Amino acid sequence: MQVTLKIFRYNPEVDKKIHYETYNFEAQETDRILDLLEHVKGYFDGTLSFRRSCAHGVCGSDAMRINGRNMLACKVLVRDVGGQITIEPLLGLKIQKDLIVDMEPFFDNYKKVLPWFINDSPLPADERERLQSPQQRARFDDTTKCILCAACTTSCPTFWANDDYLGPAAIVTAHRFIYDSRDEAAAERLHILSETSGVARCHTAYNCTLACPREIEITRAIGELKMSMITGKLD
Amino acid sequence: MNRSESRSLPLTKRGLNFEMLMWIFTRLTALAMYALILFAIIGALIMGARQDMNLADVLRWGFMPNSPHVQSTDVPDLGPWSTPFWRIVASGLLLIATAHGVHGLVVIADDYIVTPRGRNTVRGISIAFMLMMSFIGLYVIWTS
Repeated sequence: MQVTLKIFRYNPEVDKKIHYETYNFEAQETDRILDLLEHVKGYFDGTLSFRRSCAHGVCGSDAMRINGRNMLACKVLVRDVGGQITIEPLLGLKIQKDLIVDMEPFFDNYKKVLPWFINDSPLPADERERLQSPQQRARFDDTTKCILCAACTTSCPTFWANDDYLGPAAIVTAHRFIYDSRDEAAAERLHILSETSGVARCHTAYNCTLACPREIEITRAIGELKMSMITGKLD
Repeated sequence: MNRSESRSLPLTKRGLNFEMLMWIFTRLTALAMYALILFAIIGALIMGARQDMNLADVLRWGFMPNSPHVQSTDVPDLGPWSTPFWRIVASGLLLIATAHGVHGLVVIADDYIVTPRGRNTVRGISIAFMLMMSFIGLYVIWTS
């Protein structure tokens, strides 16, 4: 089938303004959008810049706006979006070149929620591992799926205007550790989440849930954290 | 390991700051408004039945209980609505609605204003507007 690919372009060393370039070529319905970008880079314009790594929906490098919605270019097929395709960089982060954005503000917020396991208690008697029941593991299973692609955070209206807002991805990470029965820093993380740019800024717009390529129920996770702040219950 | 152990944090450990308190306040005031609106509607329907009023007059009576307004719309005798009890109900609805609405306005405005100075300016104007509207409303309710 014939596809028309309209791609956002901006090279800060050459361009004074952003612009779009359009490419027409033959593609398969089962081609991924990432394949189309590779085709453009290989056959039309080698200067086209975008991030990619695993190309299989695991590394989270190639999140971008495809026909106005945040998606992973490696997970979306041509038949999912049709032959007229517009590709733009993620919103709310500074554009470095073409489809590449500066991810630093995103990772700065991620780091704020202490995204690592914290337990300073002595190991159990066998000195091997801290056991956890299947039910306790299931409590935070959904939020372990995050791949930090930033599709959720950059679809959030609150984040667009305020880089300091933690954003859905950081909150999802906090959820993953707060409900982990082995972790001991829940109080510290809840303090961080209750600050001015924390969970209270979430308006439950649901953009993040719709954008997540891993289908994490993000808005639900944020709601659970709000309830834990009020009730103190972590189960 | 106790696998059935319940995990919880006391308030002293997790804390509750102004932002979260306002988040809770907004939810509770929304519920309070529903309760007060229902209360006003029931009261208005009872008085409407007693006075044989049409629906438009009943609604005016329920939500705009200041006598000059109602007098100008030919609603009959306002005896029950001029009592302190109904004035307190009307005042509660007014104060809750202005605080709830202005807080919501400030939170939404933050999504469209990118500078801290701009945010503080809008916040200041919004709070001044809330105080002014509350004062005017209370003045009308208690002096008319």
